[in-house]
Amino acid sequence: MSALDLLADMLRIRAFEAVLVSRRDHGFQLLSSGAEAVAVGVAAALTREDQLLTSGRSIGPALARGLDPGRVMAELLGKASGTNRGKGGRGHLAQPSEGFFGAHAVVGGNLTIAAGVALSFQVRQIPAVAVCIFGDGACAAGALHETLNLAAIWKLPLVLVCDNNQMAVSTPRADALAPAALSDLAAPFGLPHATVDGTDVLSVSEAMRAYVARARSGGGAAFLECLSERFYSHSSSTRETRSAAEMAVVKTRCPIERLAAHLLDAGDLDAEALARMRSEAHEAAVAAMAFAEAAPFPDAAEALTDVL
Amino acid sequence: MSSDIQPATTKIFFREAIARAMREAMRDDPRVVLLGQDVGPFGGSYKEFVGLSATFGPTRVRDTPVAEEAMIGLGVGAAAAGLRPVVSITYMDFLMLGLDPLVNYAAKARFKTGGQIRTPLVVKTTAGAKGQGVAHSQCLEAWLMSVPGLKVVAPSTPADAYGLLKAAMLEDGPVVFMDHKRLFPTAGEVPVAEGHVPIGKAIVRRAGTDVTLATHSYMTRIALEAAEALDRLGVSCEVIDLRSLAPLDIETIAQSAARTGALVTLEEGQLTCGVGVEILFQVLERTGPIATARVGALPAPVSSNPVLEAAALPDADRVITAIRRLLESSRPGKS
Amino acid sequence: MLYALTVPGPIPDVEEVRVLEWHGQVGRAFEIGDLVVELETHKALVEVRAGQAGILRAIHCAEGDWQVVGRPLAVLSDGPDEALPSSPDELTALAVDFEVS
Repeated sequence: MSALDLLADMLRIRAFEAVLVSRRDHGFQLLSSGAEAVAVGVAAALTREDQLLTSGRSIGPALARGLDPGRVMAELLGKASGTNRGKGGRGHLAQPSEGFFGAHAVVGGNLTIAAGVALSFQVRQIPAVAVCIFGDGACAAGALHETLNLAAIWKLPLVLVCDNNQMAVSTPRADALAPAALSDLAAPFGLPHATVDGTDVLSVSEAMRAYVARARSGGGAAFLECLSERFYSHSSSTRETRSAAEMAVVKTRCPIERLAAHLLDAGDLDAEALARMRSEAHEAAVAAMAFAEAAPFPDAAEALTDVL
Repeated sequence: MSSDIQPATTKIFFREAIARAMREAMRDDPRVVLLGQDVGPFGGSYKEFVGLSATFGPTRVRDTPVAEEAMIGLGVGAAAAGLRPVVSITYMDFLMLGLDPLVNYAAKARFKTGGQIRTPLVVKTTAGAKGQGVAHSQCLEAWLMSVPGLKVVAPSTPADAYGLLKAAMLEDGPVVFMDHKRLFPTAGEVPVAEGHVPIGKAIVRRAGTDVTLATHSYMTRIALEAAEALDRLGVSCEVIDLRSLAPLDIETIAQSAARTGALVTLEEGQLTCGVGVEILFQVLERTGPIATARVGALPAPVSSNPVLEAAALPDADRVITAIRRLLESSRPGKS
Repeated sequence: MLYALTVPGPIPDVEEVRVLEWHGQVGRAFEIGDLVVELETHKALVEVRAGQAGILRAIHCAEGDWQVVGRPLAVLSDGPDEALPSSPDELTALAVDFEVS
C-alpha cells in the first residue's frame, strides 16, 4: 500500500466515526479516532488469509481490514444487514471471511482467542498470522501473561499489538501499569518487542511487516506497542475526564495531519487532492450511514437463533 | 422398546472409556487436538489419556503450563478457527479460571457473529469430592447449565463416558464433559462397536413405581444403592441418570414422575440454584402438583477431613431418609 | 494341600482388577518370592508374588478377565497330583506378597 492509500484509509475511518457520532441516536460506541494509524498500519502488513482480532474499540481496525462500511455501520446500529446480522453490535464486529476474525468487548478477552487462532494455523500448517490489537488496559490482565508465555513456548504465529492510548476509561496508564514501556512485558518471555509512535502510520506498518513476516515463516510471536491517542472519551456515552487544555495537546498528535503534512512536504500530495480525499471519505461515510439507516432491524425471533 | 439382540460389549475401566473415545476421534478427524496439564506422555491425572501422545504426537497432544484461562482461551480460539480441541481442566474447581473464554466467547460466538463462527470445543473436567479439600472437590455444573450456548454432559458409567465424549467431539458448539473422581476406579461394559450416546437423553437405570429419583454422575451409584435398600423396605424407586444436564431431558423425568407421583432429585453439588431445583420446577410445570424433595450437599465447603467431607455430602442413607419422609408425608401408610 | 490364589487386598479404591499377565502356565512350580501374576487396577499395576511354594494347577481368570478383591484367580497345590475341587471357593488362601505400583 502506498502512503496515499494509508492516508485515504485513515481519512475514511475518521469520517466514518464523525458521521456516526453526528447521528442523534448513535447509542454506546467505542471510537478509535486518534488511533487510525494503528489500525491502518497493522492492516497494511496483513494478507487476506491472516486474521485480525481486536478489543471492543474496533471500528478503525474493521474498516482498515476492508470490511464494507455500510455493513459495519449497520452492525453498529443493530441492523440486520450488519456484518453480524445486527447481533454483535459495537464491540463484537466480525467477518472472518474477510480476515477480520473480530472484536471482543471483554478487555483482554481476545488475547487467548487470538493465540488459539494462531494455534489452529500452526497445527493445520497454514502460513497465516493472527494479530490481536488490545488497549493498554488489557496489559494489567493475567490473560496477557498467559498468552505471552504460551505464544513463546509454542512459537505461535501471533503478533500482539498494544494500542496504548494511555487511558483505561478514566484511569491514566501511569496510575495503572508499572512497566516503563508496555512492550517490556514481552521481554521476559524472549519475544521480540518494540514501542513505536502510534500516530505514525509508516512506523507502525514497518514494524508490523517485520513481525508478521517473522511469524509467518515460523519465527514465532512478537509484541508491538503503539503510542496512540484517544480523541474521544472512552465511549460515546462516557464523560471526558481530560481538561480542554489536555485535549488540545492530545489533538496535536493527529496521525492524519501528520501523514498529510509529510506528503505535502514531500510533494506527493497537494492541498486540492487532500481536500478531495477528505470529501470522498465523508461521502463514503454518508453512504454507509444511508445504507445502515435503510436497513431493517432483525426480527425479534432472531433472539433465539444461532444460540446452540 | 427393548431389543432381544444385545450388542457385544467388553468390560473396561472408566479411564479406558475416555482414552478410547479420544483415540477414535483423533484417528477419524485430524482437527481433534488435546490440550491440558499432564495430558502428554504422563497420560493424564487418571491415566485417561494414556497412549495418545505416543500415537498422535506432541502437535496434537499438548501439555500446557498451569494457565487455565489461556488453555481454554486457546482451545476456544483454535475451535473458532477450524480445529476441534479437547481441553482437559484437571479439576472442575479450576474451570473458574477459564470461565471467561468459555462463557463470554465460546458460548456466544455463534450468536454474536450471526452464525459466522462456531466453537466446537470440549472442556473435559473432573468434579467431585474424594479427600482433596475445599478447592478440589466442587460440583459446579449448575452454574454452567444457566449459560445459553453451552452444553453439559455428565456420564456415570464407562459406556456413557465413551459415548458422550464421542458425541461431544461431534458437536459444533462448546460442551463441558464432567466426570468424577470416584468414577475412575469403576469399570463397566462398553459396546464393542464404535458409536456415540446422543446428548440430551436421560436413561432409566432402574425401573420403579413408587418414587422417581433423578440424579447424575457419581451420585447415580449412590441412587442405585439407595434404591436397592428401599426395595428391601418395600419401596419401589425408579432411578433416572440424567447423563445430559444441558440440554435436560425433562420429558423422560416428567413421564416417570407423573407415573410414580413423587420426584426426588439427588446431586453432589449445592441445592441452592442447583440441578435439582431446576428439574423439579420444570417437571412441576408439566405434571402439576406432585410430591417433591431434593437431596444435595450441605451448604458448606467440602473439607479434606474425612469426617467433615462425609458430613457434607449426600449418601444412600440420606436419600433413603428423604424418600421415606416424602412418601410418609404425601402418602401416609406407604413405607 | 490345595490353595486358592485370590486377588490380594485391600488396595485403596479398588474393588475389581483385570488380569494382565500370568507368569507361568499350569504345572509350573513357584518358589517363595516368584512373580505369579500381574493385575491391573484403574490406575496401577499389582505384582503378586508367591508367599509360599506351590504348583499352579488351574487358572480361573485368564488374561483380560476381571475379578473382585478377595475372589479366586487360580488354584495351587503342594503336590502335583492332588485332585482339584469343583470350586476354588472353599480353599485356603495362598500366602502372597503384593506390591502396587
